[in-house]
Amino acid sequence: MTYKLTGNDPLLGTPLNAVIRLADNAWIPIDEANRDYQEYLEWVAEGNTPEPADE
Amino acid sequence: MSLTQIKQSNISSDFNPSYRNLIINGAMQIAQRATSATGVSNSTYPALDRWKYFLSGPTVNVSQESFSLGQTDVSGEPEFYLRNTISSNSGASDYAIVAQHIEDVRTFAGQTCTLSFWAKSSVSGNKIAIELNQTFGGGGSASARVVTGDSDVVTLSTSWQKFSVTLTVPSISGKTIDPSTNTSYLELYLWLTGGSTWDSRASSIGNQSGDFDIALVQFEAGESATEFEHRPYGLELALCQRYYYVPLNYRWLYALTSGNTGNRRGNADFPVTMRSQPTVTPTWGQYASGTLGLQFGSAQGVTFYSDGVPDTSYTTVIFTAEAEL
Repeated sequence: MTYKLTGNDPLLGTPLNAVIRLADNAWIPIDEANRDYQEYLEWVAEGNTPEPADE
Repeated sequence: MSLTQIKQSNISSDFNPSYRNLIINGAMQIAQRATSATGVSNSTYPALDRWKYFLSGPTVNVSQESFSLGQTDVSGEPEFYLRNTISSNSGASDYAIVAQHIEDVRTFAGQTCTLSFWAKSSVSGNKIAIELNQTFGGGGSASARVVTGDSDVVTLSTSWQKFSVTLTVPSISGKTIDPSTNTSYLELYLWLTGGSTWDSRASSIGNQSGDFDIALVQFEAGESATEFEHRPYGLELALCQRYYYVPLNYRWLYALTSGNTGNRRGNADFPVTMRSQPTVTPTWGQYASGTLGLQFGSAQGVTFYSDGVPDTSYTTVIFTAEAEL
């Protein structure tokens, strides 16, 4: 499993507040109530690093 | 006109919706994701709504099967049952579980409750072990998960039988639920196979194979099972959509201003407020290419954006939204 950070809205410049699960292009909200985000946090805690956001 | 008091005992509970069944999709009607799945993965919701699978070792296939009209083996004229086909397991640590996570660990805490369901197996003598667990949330301040283990076991035959099991849910006195997230739940485990490693939690059912057919699952307060509560289809679907939603039609993304070179937006409201802000997986519909993502999201809906789409192209999106426990 790998993830990618999201940057800013291309038009408004505001943060998109999500991480992308690259296996299925799922947009996971930065919200601890979301189980996919919990899995992402566990993945990071294991020493993994997400891909950077697109410029 | 005078009013006459109606005694509660004179009201039949069989036909009045009381919301007594805390299992969602216990009649196996709702299948937003799929009606079948082969090679089920661990910790996934592969097919019928709300039914989650945990496994290691065996091959697990699941499918929504239909009862024939007028059959009398299972009362109440149900339409569907859930078939779980288990194969290729012999290791001590192998297991397969079909589970339902019931939102909020306060559910039935400290109470006696009853699980009832109909079941049969292609192999007479196969067993299903029942276990209840409590999870207090994902935050750091939450109490550790409580595993009751070894709650009860039923033995199946090749004919449909109704089973009723009375269970005691542990008290949550002294426990802590993470206040920042809505992630606590009561967990119902139906163990379909479990090698010797799991004897203390799975009532020593051992490694089992074959079809395990399950219908009309109900979990209610009290020491006895009542007739299965058939809720209206639309209500059952809405209960499921609190956790998973896939729309049946494409959503259009529209250019924000005249002359805008590719930036477009489109909103999608969910039919019910979801348990939490869901994971949303968007894919292009027809006529488009370029960047597709989410601008805003909440438990009630999302706003999609696209970028880099030629002005001469249409832009549509389809998606899934998941807020399961």
